[in-house]
Amino acid sequence: MSDDAVIPTGREVVAAQHKHPVNVLFHDEATTGERVADKVATSIGSWWFLGIQSVFIAIWISLNVLMVINHWDPYPFILLNLAFTIQAAYTGPVLLLSGNRQAQKDRLRLEHTAEVAETSERATIDILQEIERNTEATLKVLQHLKKRRDASLQARA
Amino acid sequence: MALGTSEVTDGTEAADGTEHLGTAGVLERLRLKHRDPDADHKHPANVTHYETASLGERLADRLSGLMGSWPFIIVQSLLMVVWVYLNVWGIFVAHWDPYPFILLNLALSFQATYAGPIVLLAGNRQSKKDRITLEHAADESDKGEEQINRILVEIKKNTALTVQILNELEAETA
Repeated sequence: MSDDAVIPTGREVVAAQHKHPVNVLFHDEATTGERVADKVATSIGSWWFLGIQSVFIAIWISLNVLMVINHWDPYPFILLNLAFTIQAAYTGPVLLLSGNRQAQKDRLRLEHTAEVAETSERATIDILQEIERNTEATLKVLQHLKKRRDASLQARA
Repeated sequence: MALGTSEVTDGTEAADGTEHLGTAGVLERLRLKHRDPDADHKHPANVTHYETASLGERLADRLSGLMGSWPFIIVQSLLMVVWVYLNVWGIFVAHWDPYPFILLNLALSFQATYAGPIVLLAGNRQSKKDRITLEHAADESDKGEEQINRILVEIKKNTALTVQILNELEAETA
């Protein structure tokens, strides 16, 4: 049975309904704001974003240095500086947004762990009590057998 | 004999009871706590992190919660748009920061200068929590090991008795 269990890849998991209660609450029941926050964080934190940003900067600087068209932001590129600052001014809050989401998930995960631990501890205690009951019964069987043997020995004597 | 059977039924009832307690209601209980950091927490690491936080730690949580929120991002965007609008097309106000908006640049740099340390503040809070969580996990694992050992001892006792019974029976047939 365990041979059939296939660990899903990240991509498959994103689309599917989740099994873990924390994932259900965190992903399947996320509000629109939370979904957008996740999307934004994953977009900014991707190689695509870094690549496009780099290309954009290279084009901006080239056009303003080379004599091709009207220089709208000549050296030392004050408007580009503003663009960078605007990016940084948004990255900080988005970073915190995503961090807050993760902190919330961590909090939920621990609560779930505590619930599971409580259940499993109760199960362990039940198992122990069940085995103790079994031992008690087995002891009684043994005593019963011994009594029967003593009786048969007496009968023979 | 009658005593023995009644004990067995008691046992199955207890097992059913734990099964119900284990699966039902966990999702519901978690849903109540989902968006409420002030909820009564069950896990010791959560209790330490949220319910016994110092004033500085509470302030750090507030600050990162405030800055990392949609209202903050939206208000910042509106302020930027108004700033640029007034300085380019504003009719009844002096253009205090004309194109290319050097003062706006300073203001946003100022924000970014604080955002960095606040991100680290929140990150440090989380890494401290992670440390506490792992310490608690180690304690729990010790406890689990002890319980398993108790079960093993009990099963060994049981096996010893069963072997004695077998010996008795073999002696009887011999």
